[in-house]
Amino acid sequence: MTAVVQAEGLTKYYGRRRGLEDLTLDIQPGEVFGYLGPNGAGKTTTIRLLLDVIRPTRGLVRVLGADSRDPAVRGRIGYLPGELALEGRERARDYLEFLGRIRGGVPASRLDALAERLDADLNVPMGKLSKGNKQKVGLIQAFMHEPEFLILDEPTGGLDPLVQQEFLAMVREVRASGRTVLMSSHVLAEVEHVSDRVGIVRAGRLVAVENVAALREKAVRRVELHFDAPVPKEAFEGLAGVRDLRVEGAGVSCTIDGRPDALIKAAARFTVVHLVSAEPDLEEIFLTYYSEEDRHHGVAEPA
Amino acid sequence: MVSQSLRDCRRALIWWTIGISAFLSVYVNVYNTVKQNPQVYGQVALDKFPGPLKDLMGQSLENFSSGVGFLQGAVYQLFVPFLFAACAMGLANRAVAGPEENGTLELLVTLPVARARLVLQRFAAMALGLLAVAAVTFVLTWLFAEVNEMGIPFGNILAAHLGVYLLGLFLGTVTLAAGAATGRRGVAMAVMGVWAVAGYMVITIGRNVEAIAWLKWVSPFHYYAEGRPLYEGLPVGDYLVLAGATAVLALTAVLSFDRRDVGV
Ligand SMILES: Nc1ncnc2c1ncn2[C@@H]1O[C@H](COP(=O)(O)OP(=O)(O)O)[C@@H](O)[C@H]1O
Ligand SMILES: [Mg+2]
Repeated sequence: MTAVVQAEGLTKYYGRRRGLEDLTLDIQPGEVFGYLGPNGAGKTTTIRLLLDVIRPTRGLVRVLGADSRDPAVRGRIGYLPGELALEGRERARDYLEFLGRIRGGVPASRLDALAERLDADLNVPMGKLSKGNKQKVGLIQAFMHEPEFLILDEPTGGLDPLVQQEFLAMVREVRASGRTVLMSSHVLAEVEHVSDRVGIVRAGRLVAVENVAALREKAVRRVELHFDAPVPKEAFEGLAGVRDLRVEGAGVSCTIDGRPDALIKAAARFTVVHLVSAEPDLEEIFLTYYSEEDRHHGVAEPA
Repeated sequence: MVSQSLRDCRRALIWWTIGISAFLSVYVNVYNTVKQNPQVYGQVALDKFPGPLKDLMGQSLENFSSGVGFLQGAVYQLFVPFLFAACAMGLANRAVAGPEENGTLELLVTLPVARARLVLQRFAAMALGLLAVAAVTFVLTWLFAEVNEMGIPFGNILAAHLGVYLLGLFLGTVTLAAGAATGRRGVAMAVMGVWAVAGYMVITIGRNVEAIAWLKWVSPFHYYAEGRPLYEGLPVGDYLVLAGATAVLALTAVLSFDRRDVGV
C-alpha cells in the first residue's frame, strides 16, 4: 500500500526565516500519527505544505499517492486549521452545508449527528461563536465527508474535557475504519492515548519518530515512594535508570529513565505504604531529545 | 461558490444600491429647478467651478442647463463613476485579500477546487454583484430622465451606464488582481485608488499638459468618457478596450494567486 504521506527533504523557508528543514517522513494508511512540538516548531508549516496552502522551498511531498498540488486529492482529506477563522453573519449550519456541497454533498443527518456528539449549536452566526464552538464547527467540517485522511492542527485547543473525550472517540473510530489521521499538538497528553506513532519536531527539524509505547519507555518519570520505616540510601543507589535520587527518612524520590523495573525490585525489600508516579510530561521528553540532539550535533545550530 | 460569495456581500450590495439611488434621486431631480432657470443655473454652475476645477468637471458644465449636459455633469462625469469604483473596490476585496487577512481563506483553498477556479468564481461574483447595482441604478436614472423630460434617448443612457459598469468592473478587477497577488487589502486599495484618481486627473486637469498626455492611454477614464456615450451612443471600441483590459487583469489575478503561498 502506498503511504498516505511521503515527504522527502521537505523544506520551507519564509523568506530567510526557517519554517521546516529537510523533513523526511512516511505516514502509513490506517495509523494515527501524533505530530508533537512546541510553538514555532514547524507543525503548521508541515501541514500547510501537505495541503498545498504554501509551497515547499525544496523537497518532495506526495499525499494519498498523488501530487499535493492536485485539487482532487484535497477532496479525500478533511482539514482542521490550527488558526481557524469563521466570520460573518452566516449561520454555522449554512456554512457547513456550503462546504458540504463543494465537497460533493454531505447528508444533513450526518451534520446533525456530529453536532449532537460534540454538543455544538449550529444556529448561531459564525462571527458570534465562542472559541470552543468555532473549534467544534471546525471539527465537524473536517469529519463530515468521512475523508480517507484527516489532518488536524491542534484539534483540542479550546475544547472542554468532555468534548475532548468525544473527539478522541471520533479519532479512534476513524482509525478503526482503516482511515488515517495526522494530528498535531504541543502536549503529548492530548495525543498519546490515540496515537500509534508520534513524531517530535523542534526548531523546524523532525528529531524523532517513535511508537507511543516505545516513547513511554523512554520517558522520564518522577517517582516517589513512602515506606513504613526509614530506609538506607545505599539500597537505592546505582540502580539502572534511576537518577536524581533523594532519600529522606522513610521517603524516596527520583526520576526514572525508561523501565521502573530495578527500582520496584529494590523497593520490594521494604514495606511500601504509598507510591506516586507522575505521568511523564512532554517537556521532560523533549529535554531528553534535546540533550541527545546536542550530543549528536555539538552546539545548537543557528536559528 | 458564486452564489455563496454573492450571499456574503448581499448587505453591502443593498446598501450601495440604496446609496447610489439616493444620490441619483436627489441630483437628477434638481434638474427641474435648473431647467426652469437656465440662465441663473448655467451661470451659477460656471461660476462655482472656476479655472482648473472646471477642467476637473470636464467640458460638461458649459451646457449644464440642457438635459444631456446636466445628466453628464451631475451623474456620469465624476460622482457616479467614483461611487461605482468604491463599491467595486469593496466587492473586490471580499474575493481574496479580505478573506486572506481575516483567515477564512485557508479553509477555502483546502477545498477540492483549483485555485484558478476559486479566483474566477469570485471574480464572477463581483461582476454579477456590480451588475445588479448597475441595473437598478440604470433603471432609476432612465426613469428620472424621463420624468424630468431631459430628452435623452434610452439607448444613450444605456450606453453611458454600461460605461459606468465597465469602468467599475475594470477598477474592481484592478483591486482583485492586486489583492490576489499580494493578499493585502491595503495594497489592493492603494493600487486601485492611485490608478483611478491619476487616471481621472490625466484626462481632465492634465489633458492639456503635453508631457503627460500619453498617459491617457492607460487611463480607464479615457475609454470611459472620450466616446461621449450620453451624446453619441455606444463607443464600441473604447468599451472593448475596457472589457479586454479587465479580462487580462482577471487572468493576471488567477496566475499570480495560483503560484503563491496563502496566508503568509
Ligand atoms: N507566515 C510566516 N512568515 C514568517 N515566518 C513564519 C510564518 N509562519 C511561520 N513562520 C515561522 O516558521 C516557524 C514554524 O512555525 P509554525 O509552523 O507555525 O510552528 P507551529 O505550528 O509548530 O507552532 C516559526 O519559527 C515561525 O515563526
Ligand atoms: Mg501551529
